Amino acid sequence: MLSAALTQTLIEAGVQAPTLVAIRATELLFAWSLALQTLEYLRMGKYMADDAFWSWQLQRADIPNVTVRALLDVLFKPSMHQSHLVLRLCAAIALAVQGASLPLIGFLFAGNLLILIRWRGAFNGGSDFMTLVLLTGLLISQVVGAFGNIELGWQAGFWYIAIQAITSYFMSGAVKLLRPEWRNGSAMTIFLNGAIYGPLSATHLLRNKWLALLGSWGFIVWEILFPMSLLDPRLAAVFCAVAALFHFLVFWFFGLNRFFWAWLCAFPAIMWCSAQFSARFV
Amino acid sequence: MTELLFAAYFLVLIATLIIKTPIIKGPWLFLLRAFFPNWKFFHAVGYVPHLYARSAVQLSSSELQWSDWVLIYPRRVRRLHHLVHNPDTNLGLGQQNMVDHFWADLHDLPEGEDPRGLVSYQMMQRLSCQVLCARDVNFSHSQFELRMVLDGRTETLDTHVMMTSPVVAC
Repeated sequence: MLSAALTQTLIEAGVQAPTLVAIRATELLFAWSLALQTLEYLRMGKYMADDAFWSWQLQRADIPNVTVRALLDVLFKPSMHQSHLVLRLCAAIALAVQGASLPLIGFLFAGNLLILIRWRGAFNGGSDFMTLVLLTGLLISQVVGAFGNIELGWQAGFWYIAIQAITSYFMSGAVKLLRPEWRNGSAMTIFLNGAIYGPLSATHLLRNKWLALLGSWGFIVWEILFPMSLLDPRLAAVFCAVAALFHFLVFWFFGLNRFFWAWLCAFPAIMWCSAQFSARFV
Repeated sequence: MTELLFAAYFLVLIATLIIKTPIIKGPWLFLLRAFFPNWKFFHAVGYVPHLYARSAVQLSSSELQWSDWVLIYPRRVRRLHHLVHNPDTNLGLGQQNMVDHFWADLHDLPEGEDPRGLVSYQMMQRLSCQVLCARDVNFSHSQFELRMVLDGRTETLDTHVMMTSPVVAC
């Protein structure tokens, strides 16, 4: 009863003030995603110590510029790095409570670059890339907004996020379509066997050649058709719902929990852009 | 007009997949590659780098008695709560990413250059030592190896050694 009322309220709000709902949804989802990432980083301190695998004393040789290296030596001292992560967690909470502002997003953006460098360019691959896309979109919204046009800022930010997210699905599907091992379904089984939660059990359904073939083609077609989500917000909702299921399965088999949350953050922007784009045809 | 721009954009994306262009490389481009995502995930099946390590104890005859090679590959047990908190699995994935980077660094290394100067080599050496220590601290020497493994649907089809490190005293 309560959830039905809440859903109805959300739908009405979405119809009456779609931009405000999209902004708030993006801020809340992104704050959640950032907080989860940061809490994980905070648990990794001992793996980044001087005698550990991810030691900065080893990695600093990657930095080509002496001055920058000296600066990073200070910023990546364990106590400094942990303090940065605690501040990042506070910034994520502030984003959820107060919403985006230029100083807040500027801090998160600069801090995110530092974290990427600390992990040799990326800690978790695609989810780091999508997190940066979200931060860049939010930064665009705040910078343009600071010059006087807040609405234009959010429009630009949402379009940046939506195009990057749609591109991610389209490219991911297109590269698979070009590979024979994806077209015949064998790639899915091979990747699942090599996954961190793998290998598949001897009787697992996805060891079946025909099911693997069906699954492969299902995802390839859905990914390639993702740009169609711009044609109608209802279509966008369906594509995003399938995407949520897809990312959950990626988490379930590959352990990539950050992917699930990072891509979920882009859904409000996709829905908003779809509404804007399709309105042109009405 | 906007619709045409969208169509052109996706055509350009397809063209980038078909037309091969030179790859621009540099240390800063590598560290800031998140700005240039290619969004190609799990796209190609082929040889995958796997890290192996072994340890040795020195006998009274000064000969080394080696253990079997140990595969250093992350495997974890799945839990539903990992959806919201999964540091250990993510560290494992990061470790395997580093093995991939080590392979790429070796691949790009000019002919005759010593790989021991590579950051990724030193990280692999440290990882090997830590894994071997976790198994048994009583060893005097260690060695690691990068093997390229080609998996099929049901079995490993081919393996070859890409690099074997010198024996180091621990």
